[in-house]
Amino acid sequence: MMRVRLARLIQVFLLTGLSSFGGGRSAHLHDAVVVRRGWLTNAEFLQSFTLCQVLPGPNFSNLAVTLGYRLAGAGGAAGAAASVLVPGAIVLLILTVIYSRTGLAEDARHFLHGMGAAVVGLLLMTAARLARGALRVPGAVVVAALTFLSVGPLRINTAVVIGVMLPLSLLLTRPRRQAPLPAPPAEPPP
Amino acid sequence: MSDLALLGWTFLWLSFLAVGGGLGVLPEMQRQVVTIHHWVTAQQFVDGYSLAQLSPGPNMLIAIFVGYRAHGLPGALVAGVAMFVPAATLAAFIARHWDSLRERPWVRAAEGALAPIGLGLMAGGAYTLTRSAVYDAFTAGLALVAFAILWRGFLPPIAVVLLGGVAGWLARA
Repeated sequence: MMRVRLARLIQVFLLTGLSSFGGGRSAHLHDAVVVRRGWLTNAEFLQSFTLCQVLPGPNFSNLAVTLGYRLAGAGGAAGAAASVLVPGAIVLLILTVIYSRTGLAEDARHFLHGMGAAVVGLLLMTAARLARGALRVPGAVVVAALTFLSVGPLRINTAVVIGVMLPLSLLLTRPRRQAPLPAPPAEPPP
Repeated sequence: MSDLALLGWTFLWLSFLAVGGGLGVLPEMQRQVVTIHHWVTAQQFVDGYSLAQLSPGPNMLIAIFVGYRAHGLPGALVAGVAMFVPAATLAAFIARHWDSLRERPWVRAAEGALAPIGLGLMAGGAYTLTRSAVYDAFTAGLALVAFAILWRGFLPPIAVVLLGGVAGWLARA
Protein backbone atom coordinates (compact mmCIF):
# COMPACT_ATOMS: atom_id res chain seq x y z
CA MET A 1 0.00 0.00 0.00
CA MET A 2 1.23 3.48 -0.68
CA ARG A 3 0.19 6.97 0.29
CA VAL A 4 -1.22 8.99 -2.55
CA ARG A 5 -1.44 12.77 -2.86
CA LEU A 6 -4.98 14.00 -2.20
CA ALA A 7 -5.31 15.93 -5.46
CA ARG A 8 -4.23 12.86 -7.43
CA LEU A 9 -6.63 10.64 -5.48
CA ILE A 10 -9.56 12.95 -6.18
CA GLN A 11 -8.65 13.14 -9.86
CA VAL A 12 -8.59 9.34 -10.21
CA PHE A 13 -11.81 8.77 -8.20
CA LEU A 14 -13.63 11.50 -10.15
CA LEU A 15 -12.73 9.84 -13.44
CA THR A 16 -13.63 6.40 -12.11
CA GLY A 17 -16.94 7.62 -10.71
CA LEU A 18 -17.86 9.29 -13.98
CA SER A 19 -17.03 6.28 -16.12
CA SER A 20 -18.74 3.73 -13.89
CA PHE A 21 -22.37 3.61 -14.60
CA GLY A 22 -24.76 0.78 -15.20
CA GLY A 23 -23.58 -1.58 -12.48
CA GLY A 24 -20.40 -3.46 -11.62
CA ARG A 25 -18.98 -0.34 -10.09
CA SER A 26 -16.59 -2.01 -7.67
CA ALA A 27 -14.91 -3.53 -10.70
CA HIS A 28 -14.13 -0.06 -12.03
CA LEU A 29 -12.51 0.95 -8.74
CA HIS A 30 -10.51 -2.28 -8.70
CA ASP A 31 -9.27 -1.54 -12.21
CA ALA A 32 -8.32 2.02 -11.26
CA VAL A 33 -6.44 1.51 -7.98
CA VAL A 34 -5.08 -2.06 -8.30
CA VAL A 35 -4.70 -3.01 -11.96
CA ARG A 36 -3.73 0.29 -13.51
CA ARG A 37 -1.87 2.10 -10.75
CA GLY A 38 -0.80 -0.57 -8.28
CA TRP A 39 -1.76 1.66 -5.33
CA LEU A 40 -3.14 -1.39 -3.47
CA THR A 41 -2.60 -5.13 -3.76
CA ASN A 42 -5.45 -7.46 -4.64
CA ALA A 43 -5.57 -8.67 -1.03
CA GLU A 44 -5.78 -5.14 0.35
CA PHE A 45 -8.57 -4.32 -2.07
CA LEU A 46 -10.49 -7.47 -1.15
CA GLN A 47 -10.26 -6.61 2.55
CA SER A 48 -11.83 -3.22 1.92
CA PHE A 49 -14.38 -4.82 -0.38
CA THR A 50 -15.45 -7.34 2.25
CA LEU A 51 -15.57 -4.67 4.92
CA CYS A 52 -18.01 -2.71 2.77
CA GLN A 53 -20.25 -5.76 2.40
CA VAL A 54 -20.44 -5.99 6.17
CA LEU A 55 -20.93 -2.28 6.74
CA PRO A 56 -24.39 -0.77 6.55
CA GLY A 57 -24.85 1.88 3.91
CA PRO A 58 -24.57 2.18 0.14
CA ASN A 59 -21.71 -0.10 -0.94
CA PHE A 60 -20.06 1.93 -3.62
CA SER A 61 -19.64 5.12 -1.60
CA ASN A 62 -18.49 3.06 1.40
CA LEU A 63 -15.89 1.36 -0.79
CA ALA A 64 -14.68 4.76 -1.98
CA VAL A 65 -14.48 5.91 1.65
CA THR A 66 -12.47 2.92 2.87
CA LEU A 67 -10.11 2.93 -0.13
CA GLY A 68 -9.71 6.70 0.18
CA TYR A 69 -8.89 6.30 3.87
CA ARG A 70 -6.24 3.68 3.17
CA LEU A 71 -4.61 5.77 0.45
CA ALA A 72 -4.75 9.28 1.88
CA GLY A 73 -6.19 9.33 5.40
CA ALA A 74 -9.34 11.15 6.52
CA GLY A 75 -9.09 13.76 3.77
CA GLY A 76 -8.80 10.96 1.25
CA ALA A 77 -11.95 9.31 2.59
CA ALA A 78 -13.98 12.52 2.24
CA GLY A 79 -12.46 13.39 -1.13
CA ALA A 80 -13.03 9.92 -2.58
CA ALA A 81 -16.67 9.81 -1.43
CA ALA A 82 -17.44 13.26 -2.83
CA SER A 83 -15.70 12.38 -6.11
CA VAL A 84 -17.86 9.33 -6.80
CA LEU A 85 -21.12 10.88 -5.54
CA VAL A 86 -21.35 14.52 -6.58
CA PRO A 87 -21.07 14.18 -10.39
CA GLY A 88 -23.72 11.45 -10.49
CA ALA A 89 -25.94 13.41 -8.14
CA ILE A 90 -25.82 16.42 -10.48
CA VAL A 91 -26.52 14.31 -13.59
CA LEU A 92 -29.44 12.54 -11.91
CA LEU A 93 -30.83 15.83 -10.63
CA ILE A 94 -30.82 17.25 -14.15
CA LEU A 95 -32.52 14.11 -15.51
CA THR A 96 -35.08 14.29 -12.70
CA VAL A 97 -35.88 17.94 -13.42
CA ILE A 98 -36.38 17.13 -17.11
CA TYR A 99 -38.53 14.11 -16.19
CA SER A 100 -40.65 16.27 -13.89
CA ARG A 101 -41.00 19.23 -16.28
CA THR A 102 -41.95 17.54 -19.47
CA GLY A 103 -43.90 14.80 -17.80
CA LEU A 104 -43.02 11.88 -19.95
CA ALA A 105 -43.34 12.06 -23.68
CA GLU A 106 -44.80 8.86 -25.08
CA ASP A 107 -41.46 8.00 -26.70
CA ALA A 108 -39.51 8.46 -23.48
CA ARG A 109 -41.98 6.31 -21.60
CA HIS A 110 -41.49 3.40 -24.00
CA PHE A 111 -37.74 3.91 -23.72
CA LEU A 112 -37.83 3.85 -19.91
CA HIS A 113 -40.04 0.75 -19.86
CA GLY A 114 -37.55 -1.08 -22.08
CA MET A 115 -34.71 0.09 -19.85
CA GLY A 116 -36.58 -1.06 -16.75
CA ALA A 117 -36.91 -4.58 -18.17
CA ALA A 118 -33.20 -4.68 -19.07
CA VAL A 119 -32.33 -3.47 -15.57
CA VAL A 120 -34.26 -6.45 -14.17
CA GLY A 121 -31.97 -8.71 -16.22
CA LEU A 122 -28.95 -6.88 -14.81
CA LEU A 123 -30.16 -7.30 -11.23
CA LEU A 124 -30.83 -11.01 -11.69
CA MET A 125 -27.37 -11.46 -13.18
CA THR A 126 -25.69 -9.60 -10.29
CA ALA A 127 -27.56 -11.69 -7.71
CA ALA A 128 -26.62 -14.90 -9.56
CA ARG A 129 -22.95 -13.90 -9.69
CA LEU A 130 -22.79 -13.05 -6.01
CA ALA A 131 -24.54 -16.30 -5.05
CA ARG A 132 -21.34 -18.28 -5.58
CA GLY A 133 -19.38 -16.32 -3.01
CA ALA A 134 -22.19 -15.96 -0.49
CA LEU A 135 -23.30 -19.60 -0.23
CA ARG A 136 -20.15 -21.24 1.13
CA VAL A 137 -21.34 -22.39 4.55
CA PRO A 138 -23.84 -25.28 4.66
CA GLY A 139 -27.22 -23.82 5.54
CA ALA A 140 -26.40 -20.45 4.00
CA VAL A 141 -28.74 -21.22 1.13
CA VAL A 142 -31.62 -21.57 3.64
CA VAL A 143 -30.73 -18.21 5.20
CA ALA A 144 -30.59 -16.57 1.77
CA ALA A 145 -33.90 -18.15 0.68
CA LEU A 146 -35.74 -17.20 3.88
CA THR A 147 -34.41 -13.64 3.62
CA PHE A 148 -35.54 -13.42 0.02
CA LEU A 149 -39.03 -14.76 0.76
CA SER A 150 -39.49 -12.40 3.72
CA VAL A 151 -38.48 -9.16 2.03
CA GLY A 152 -39.67 -10.07 -1.49
CA PRO A 153 -43.03 -11.87 -1.76
CA LEU A 154 -44.00 -11.52 1.93
CA ARG A 155 -42.97 -7.83 2.13
CA ILE A 156 -41.89 -7.95 5.76
CA ASN A 157 -40.00 -4.94 7.12
CA THR A 158 -36.32 -5.33 6.20
CA ALA A 159 -35.02 -4.27 9.62
CA VAL A 160 -37.09 -7.01 11.25
CA VAL A 161 -35.84 -9.57 8.74
CA ILE A 162 -32.18 -8.66 9.36
CA GLY A 163 -32.80 -8.74 13.11
CA VAL A 164 -34.16 -12.29 12.92
CA MET A 165 -31.85 -13.71 10.25
CA LEU A 166 -28.54 -12.38 11.59
CA PRO A 167 -28.51 -14.46 14.82
CA LEU A 168 -29.64 -17.48 12.81
CA SER A 169 -26.86 -16.98 10.28
CA LEU A 170 -24.30 -16.37 13.04
CA LEU A 171 -25.19 -19.80 14.42
CA LEU A 172 -23.89 -21.26 11.17
CA THR A 173 -20.68 -19.24 11.01
CA ARG A 174 -19.90 -18.97 14.74
CA PRO A 175 -16.28 -19.47 15.75
CA ARG A 176 -15.58 -23.09 16.66
CA ARG A 177 -12.65 -24.51 18.57
CA GLN A 178 -11.93 -27.59 16.48
CA ALA A 179 -13.24 -26.81 13.05
CA PRO A 180 -11.38 -24.24 11.02
CA LEU A 181 -13.16 -20.94 10.55
CA PRO A 182 -15.35 -20.67 7.49
CA ALA A 183 -13.69 -18.50 4.92
CA PRO A 184 -14.95 -14.92 4.92
CA PRO A 185 -17.12 -14.11 1.91
CA ALA A 186 -14.23 -12.71 -0.07
CA GLU A 187 -15.31 -13.51 -3.58
CA PRO A 188 -13.05 -11.94 -6.18
CA PRO A 189 -14.13 -8.46 -7.22
CA PRO A 190 -16.66 -8.69 -10.02
CA MET B 1 -42.70 16.03 12.10
CA SER B 2 -42.69 17.99 8.88
CA ASP B 3 -42.76 15.91 5.73
CA LEU B 4 -39.26 17.11 4.75
CA ALA B 5 -37.81 15.95 8.07
CA LEU B 6 -39.70 12.68 7.66
CA LEU B 7 -38.12 12.30 4.20
CA GLY B 8 -34.62 12.80 5.65
CA TRP B 9 -35.28 10.43 8.54
CA THR B 10 -36.65 7.74 6.23
CA PHE B 11 -33.61 7.78 3.94
CA LEU B 12 -31.28 7.91 6.92
CA TRP B 13 -32.51 4.63 8.36
CA LEU B 14 -32.97 3.11 4.91
CA SER B 15 -29.27 3.77 4.24
CA PHE B 16 -28.33 1.70 7.28
CA LEU B 17 -30.46 -1.21 6.05
CA ALA B 18 -28.41 -1.46 2.86
CA VAL B 19 -26.30 -4.43 3.91
CA GLY B 20 -24.44 -6.11 1.08
CA GLY B 21 -25.38 -3.67 -1.66
CA GLY B 22 -28.01 -1.03 -2.17
CA LEU B 23 -30.17 -3.43 -4.12
CA GLY B 24 -31.16 -5.19 -0.91
CA VAL B 25 -32.88 -2.13 0.44
CA LEU B 26 -35.12 -1.62 -2.63
CA PRO B 27 -38.16 -3.55 -1.32
CA GLU B 28 -38.23 -1.55 1.90
CA MET B 29 -37.56 1.71 0.07
CA GLN B 30 -40.45 1.06 -2.28
CA ARG B 31 -42.71 0.20 0.64
CA GLN B 32 -41.77 3.45 2.40
CA VAL B 33 -41.78 5.95 -0.47
CA VAL B 34 -44.65 4.46 -2.52
CA THR B 35 -47.01 2.57 -0.22
CA ILE B 36 -46.59 4.41 3.08
CA HIS B 37 -45.61 8.02 2.31
CA HIS B 38 -46.85 8.39 -1.31
CA TRP B 39 -43.83 10.49 -2.33
CA VAL B 40 -43.80 8.77 -5.74
CA THR B 41 -46.00 6.24 -7.54
CA ALA B 42 -44.86 2.67 -8.22
CA GLN B 43 -44.27 3.52 -11.89
CA GLN B 44 -42.27 6.66 -11.01
CA PHE B 45 -40.16 4.57 -8.64
CA VAL B 46 -39.18 2.23 -11.50
CA ASP B 47 -38.56 5.24 -13.79
CA GLY B 48 -36.38 6.80 -11.09
CA TYR B 49 -34.37 3.61 -10.76
CA SER B 50 -33.81 3.58 -14.52
CA LEU B 51 -32.67 7.22 -14.43
CA ALA B 52 -30.29 6.37 -11.57
CA GLN B 53 -28.91 3.55 -13.73
CA LEU B 54 -28.29 6.09 -16.47
CA SER B 55 -26.35 8.38 -14.11
CA PRO B 56 -22.78 7.71 -13.04
CA GLY B 57 -22.30 6.74 -9.40
CA PRO B 58 -24.30 4.44 -7.13
CA ASN B 59 -27.93 3.56 -7.84
CA MET B 60 -28.84 4.66 -4.34
CA LEU B 61 -28.75 8.16 -5.80
CA ILE B 62 -32.40 7.31 -6.44
CA ALA B 63 -32.87 9.04 -3.05
CA ILE B 64 -32.28 12.31 -4.91
CA PHE B 65 -35.00 11.45 -7.43
CA VAL B 66 -37.53 10.67 -4.72
CA GLY B 67 -36.51 13.73 -2.69
CA TYR B 68 -36.94 16.02 -5.69
CA ARG B 69 -40.34 14.57 -6.58
CA ALA B 70 -41.50 15.05 -3.00
CA HIS B 71 -40.08 18.49 -2.13
CA GLY B 72 -38.10 19.93 -5.03
CA LEU B 73 -34.45 20.91 -4.57
CA PRO B 74 -34.50 20.97 -0.74
CA GLY B 75 -35.99 17.49 -0.80
CA ALA B 76 -33.27 16.25 -3.18
CA LEU B 77 -30.57 17.70 -0.93
CA VAL B 78 -32.03 16.33 2.30
CA ALA B 79 -32.62 12.85 0.88
CA GLY B 80 -29.16 12.68 -0.74
CA VAL B 81 -27.30 13.82 2.38
CA ALA B 82 -29.34 11.49 4.62
CA MET B 83 -28.64 8.55 2.32
CA PHE B 84 -24.87 8.97 2.02
CA VAL B 85 -23.25 11.14 4.69
CA PRO B 86 -24.02 9.26 7.95
CA ALA B 87 -23.22 5.84 6.45
CA ALA B 88 -19.98 7.17 4.90
CA THR B 89 -18.95 8.71 8.22
CA LEU B 90 -19.47 5.38 9.96
CA ALA B 91 -17.49 3.64 7.20
CA ALA B 92 -14.55 6.04 7.65
CA PHE B 93 -14.60 5.50 11.41
CA ILE B 94 -14.62 1.71 11.08
CA ALA B 95 -11.99 1.73 8.30
CA ARG B 96 -9.70 3.36 10.84
CA HIS B 97 -10.04 0.52 13.32
CA TRP B 98 -10.70 -2.34 10.93
CA ASP B 99 -7.31 -4.01 10.94
CA SER B 100 -7.43 -4.63 14.69
CA LEU B 101 -11.16 -5.52 14.74
CA ARG B 102 -10.74 -8.07 12.01
CA GLU B 103 -8.62 -10.37 14.16
CA ARG B 104 -11.52 -11.12 16.50
CA PRO B 105 -13.23 -14.43 15.68
CA TRP B 106 -16.73 -13.02 16.08
CA VAL B 107 -16.06 -10.24 13.60
CA ARG B 108 -14.93 -12.84 11.07
CA ALA B 109 -18.04 -14.87 11.87
CA ALA B 110 -20.19 -11.78 11.24
CA GLU B 111 -18.57 -11.33 7.82
CA GLY B 112 -19.59 -14.86 6.88
CA ALA B 113 -23.03 -14.53 8.45
CA LEU B 114 -23.94 -11.37 6.56
CA ALA B 115 -23.11 -12.74 3.11
CA PRO B 116 -26.20 -14.96 2.58
CA ILE B 117 -28.47 -12.32 4.16
CA GLY B 118 -27.11 -9.71 1.75
CA LEU B 119 -27.73 -12.11 -1.11
CA GLY B 120 -31.33 -12.74 0.00
CA LEU B 121 -31.94 -8.99 0.30
CA MET B 122 -30.55 -8.44 -3.19
CA ALA B 123 -32.77 -11.13 -4.64
CA GLY B 124 -35.71 -9.50 -2.86
CA GLY B 125 -34.75 -6.21 -4.53
CA ALA B 126 -34.72 -7.87 -7.94
CA TYR B 127 -38.15 -9.36 -7.17
CA THR B 128 -39.60 -5.98 -6.20
CA LEU B 129 -38.39 -4.31 -9.37
CA THR B 130 -39.51 -7.25 -11.50
CA ARG B 131 -43.06 -6.91 -10.23
CA SER B 132 -43.34 -3.36 -11.59
CA ALA B 133 -41.07 -3.50 -14.62
CA VAL B 134 -42.05 -6.86 -16.12
CA TYR B 135 -45.74 -6.77 -17.01
CA ASP B 136 -46.10 -8.62 -20.32
CA ALA B 137 -44.44 -11.19 -22.55
CA PHE B 138 -42.29 -8.54 -24.25
CA THR B 139 -40.78 -7.06 -21.08
CA ALA B 140 -40.24 -10.57 -19.66
CA GLY B 141 -38.41 -11.62 -22.83
CA LEU B 142 -36.35 -8.43 -22.78
CA ALA B 143 -35.29 -9.07 -19.17
CA LEU B 144 -34.27 -12.64 -20.03
CA VAL B 145 -32.30 -11.57 -23.11
CA ALA B 146 -30.55 -8.85 -21.07
CA PHE B 147 -29.72 -11.45 -18.41
CA ALA B 148 -28.26 -13.84 -20.99
CA ILE B 149 -26.14 -11.17 -22.71
CA LEU B 150 -24.75 -9.90 -19.40
CA TRP B 151 -24.14 -13.41 -18.08
CA ARG B 152 -21.96 -14.20 -21.09
CA GLY B 153 -20.30 -10.79 -20.79
CA PHE B 154 -20.94 -9.87 -24.43
CA LEU B 155 -21.68 -6.22 -23.65
CA PRO B 156 -21.10 -3.88 -20.70
CA PRO B 157 -24.15 -3.27 -18.48
CA ILE B 158 -24.71 0.31 -19.59
CA ALA B 159 -24.90 -0.79 -23.25
CA VAL B 160 -27.45 -3.50 -22.43
CA VAL B 161 -29.61 -1.09 -20.44
CA LEU B 162 -29.56 1.49 -23.25
CA LEU B 163 -30.31 -1.16 -25.88
CA GLY B 164 -33.24 -2.28 -23.71
CA GLY B 165 -34.50 1.29 -23.90
CA VAL B 166 -34.20 1.31 -27.69
CA ALA B 167 -35.99 -2.05 -27.90
CA GLY B 168 -38.80 -0.73 -25.71
CA TRP B 169 -39.09 2.36 -27.85
CA LEU B 170 -39.15 0.38 -31.11
CA ALA B 171 -41.73 -2.07 -29.75
CA ARG B 172 -43.84 0.63 -28.07
CA ALA B 173 -43.65 -1.33 -24.84
